[in-house]
Amino acid sequence: MSLEKPSRDTALDVGVTEDGLDYDALADLLGGHVLDREEHVNAEGFVIRPDEVQEVLSTLKEEAGFDHCACVTAQEYDDRYESIYHLRKFDDPTQELSIIVPSPKDDPHNESAARVYDTADWHEREAYDLVGIDYDDHPDLRRILLPETWQGHPLSQDYNQDQPQIVSLREHANPLEDDKRSEDDPDTMFVNIGPHHPATHGVLHVETVLDGEQIADLEPDIGYLHRCEEQMCQQGTYRHQIMPYPDRWDYISAGILNEWAYARAAEDLADIEVPEYAQVIRTMAAEMCRIASHELALATFALDVFGDFTAVFQYGIRDREIVQNLLEDLTGQRLMFNYLRLGGVAWDLPEPREEYFEKIRDFLDDLPHKLEEIHDLVTGNEIFQMRCVDTGVLSPEQVKQYGATGPVARGSGVDYDIRRDDPYGYYDELDWNVVTEQGGDNFSRVLVRLREVEESARIIEQCVDLLEQWPEDDREIQANVPRTLRPDPDKEIYRSVEGAKGELGIYIRSDGTDKPARFKIRSPCFSNLQTLPEMSQGEYIPDMIASLGSLDIVLGEVDR
Amino acid sequence: MQSAPLPETLANLLGLDPNSTAVMIVLSLVGAGLIGTLMMTNTALAGPWAKRKITAAFTDRIAVDRIGPYGLFIIVADAVRLLSKELIVPEGADRPAWDLAPLIIASTALLGFAVIPMGNGIHLADPEVGLAYVFAVASTTSIGLVMAGYASNNKYSFLGGLRAVAQNLAYEIPLILTGASVVIFAGSLQMSEIVAAQQQSLIGPLPSWYAFVNPFAFVLFMIANLAEVGRNPFDIPEAPTEIVAGYQTEYSSVYFVLIYLGEFIHIFLGGAIIATIFLGGPAGPVLPGIVWFLIKIWGVFLFTQWARSAVPRVRIDQLIEIGWKGMLVLSLANLLLTAVIVGVTV
Repeated sequence: MSLEKPSRDTALDVGVTEDGLDYDALADLLGGHVLDREEHVNAEGFVIRPDEVQEVLSTLKEEAGFDHCACVTAQEYDDRYESIYHLRKFDDPTQELSIIVPSPKDDPHNESAARVYDTADWHEREAYDLVGIDYDDHPDLRRILLPETWQGHPLSQDYNQDQPQIVSLREHANPLEDDKRSEDDPDTMFVNIGPHHPATHGVLHVETVLDGEQIADLEPDIGYLHRCEEQMCQQGTYRHQIMPYPDRWDYISAGILNEWAYARAAEDLADIEVPEYAQVIRTMAAEMCRIASHELALATFALDVFGDFTAVFQYGIRDREIVQNLLEDLTGQRLMFNYLRLGGVAWDLPEPREEYFEKIRDFLDDLPHKLEEIHDLVTGNEIFQMRCVDTGVLSPEQVKQYGATGPVARGSGVDYDIRRDDPYGYYDELDWNVVTEQGGDNFSRVLVRLREVEESARIIEQCVDLLEQWPEDDREIQANVPRTLRPDPDKEIYRSVEGAKGELGIYIRSDGTDKPARFKIRSPCFSNLQTLPEMSQGEYIPDMIASLGSLDIVLGEVDR
Repeated sequence: MQSAPLPETLANLLGLDPNSTAVMIVLSLVGAGLIGTLMMTNTALAGPWAKRKITAAFTDRIAVDRIGPYGLFIIVADAVRLLSKELIVPEGADRPAWDLAPLIIASTALLGFAVIPMGNGIHLADPEVGLAYVFAVASTTSIGLVMAGYASNNKYSFLGGLRAVAQNLAYEIPLILTGASVVIFAGSLQMSEIVAAQQQSLIGPLPSWYAFVNPFAFVLFMIANLAEVGRNPFDIPEAPTEIVAGYQTEYSSVYFVLIYLGEFIHIFLGGAIIATIFLGGPAGPVLPGIVWFLIKIWGVFLFTQWARSAVPRVRIDQLIEIGWKGMLVLSLANLLLTAVIVGVTV
């Protein structure tokens, strides 16, 4: 099989054993910092003091190799606030550790992790915004999703939902006033790129300070598409009411990948075993979504670089349309699939099955030729290469610091793919490769996506073969799941899948009812977008736009 | 055979005295109106209809086909639609510069057609400095672009205006130098002379069009022309995905139509210059001259649309680099070489 990881440095493998992590060794490493230990479904959690966050996290990062702060979950209990740092390793994401930081109810604050992991910057801002925990020593603690004038923190317990909020429509203050650069260099100009701009892929607002045509400073301002997805999920029942929401996170055709993220977390939380047949169907459908999503990513990236709705955009859409038809045949929907169920899928393949397989095979047979066409038109074009090679460069270190995942990480040579490293579904039974490119520039990210389309096609092909030969009396599409699902109280889990944009993780805490007590979405786009300032500092506007396109963000997933 | 400029032809046709100044002024205006209408008709066809059809063909689509034969009546529908929109004047716009810019952009390109011989006697004037005049009026468009960009009081427009100047400076010089190499061949700046010089046979049935005589200059000129008219890979001043719509961001309604119109007339003027100095003007077998002339300028238009559909846009610094370090050097070399060759052979 081709899914072997390259060998790695073993010096940082504290507590790594054949059968998983030895948490005692890690606790020894941290010594007296560990106040208490908790069992989460995915990993153990160490409880630490709120003023020792930086010390503990840097020890774990420097000495135990936890280089990936996947997510920061904040929540309020009856007696305390809590921040959970979900740590993993880029080398092996199955080695997980949760660092739990409780803080007092009356004055919730703890030390920020942003000095250790750059990615914690935005995650902690979100925690502050929605839950209301203060992070000391945070470089820039202000609201991120809600408007600055918002009163209260919506996910905290004493939040009054009925209180009217006044969001004033005021003109932007002149941000140059406190822009230090403007004093010694009066040539800078402030430009609001977005939220209404042809190339921001939705309602993203990029506050940009320009020096001529070059970018002196840049800050993405998000939250325009915040729809309280986490809260809505907390108000839905596990069994049926949550599944439609994931389709609306990454809403451009990656629906099944998102649904799988929720399905995986909830199934592991409630110990549901999914039948193999359903897993194969899921795998196939998910890879179709990945192709559709990558085709659109390529098309819109070309739109940004070519500058108009040109041939390349249309070619991308043309190919994506066929995948959409296949998905429509399977799920009945073109975008908002709602096809996965806890414990399986909604229904079996469409009848007549042979005809459906035929359609998929036709598509797969045409695909190499079509990709060839796109390579001719796009990646082979010299002007395109001139524009994309060596622009928007992201080093592997930056990738890890910002917790960037998916094609963005793989385009910088970070070999990280949840499908292989933390297998789920039917992926570990199939023959396929994880694609990486070393360049780290806009061009590499495009190449990674194009090559991943080929790999997805390989996966689909094998799934079709499997499904075709599957014995008729063994086509079980749904496990036995209780009508009302009530996972045991106080179980906590963080599980992720490889979405179209990267690691899409879900944290769920159950409280014995049929609804989650805390539902947290770790969106890959949210983390990926954080790298934009690094990528475009000093670059020209067109390169910033290209970098933004190559990040392939979907604002529905960034803002949730 | 040299046909007399249009006013004289008209005078002869109407039996008026071609030596009377008053008659000639009136007839010149009539002739200008005729040529203007001809070009505007072409633009009307190109803007709302042909452009859509051509782009659709490049991108596997059908485009307008609901109204009228082949969707042609979309031209009327678009005219009504565009003219009935609200004219929004941004707060803080620098008037009257803001109002003048669309007029300048649309009219300067139209002025260029005065000296272009279109065949069948459609030739308004034939001054001895014809080619210099065409380049001069075509360049004045830049002033309109800067005015539009600066007066809009919009940062995107401002960037677009600045980009337009930088681009035009970088590409007008190679354009004119390459044009000058043709002048060396023809020995005259007069348009009719340049056309006449291309009528002999080069080899067999191949006419001695300067595109065949000096294909290198032709290619250079075509590329510089793309930059001059702002089409991919050089549509930097507009660059919709970067600076929204550049200098025309704030324009709506009639002003937008004027700018849009100006852009298309400019493409046609570029085509007309190329047809005249490289493709033998209205020359061609069987069909009348004016038809050949129109075929040639539509050919150039098609080329710009092809580039737009298939070629990525370069970055502003790359564009300046290509202009000053590449095109300028090549066009100077071309000029020098042409001069030497002509000097030795003649």
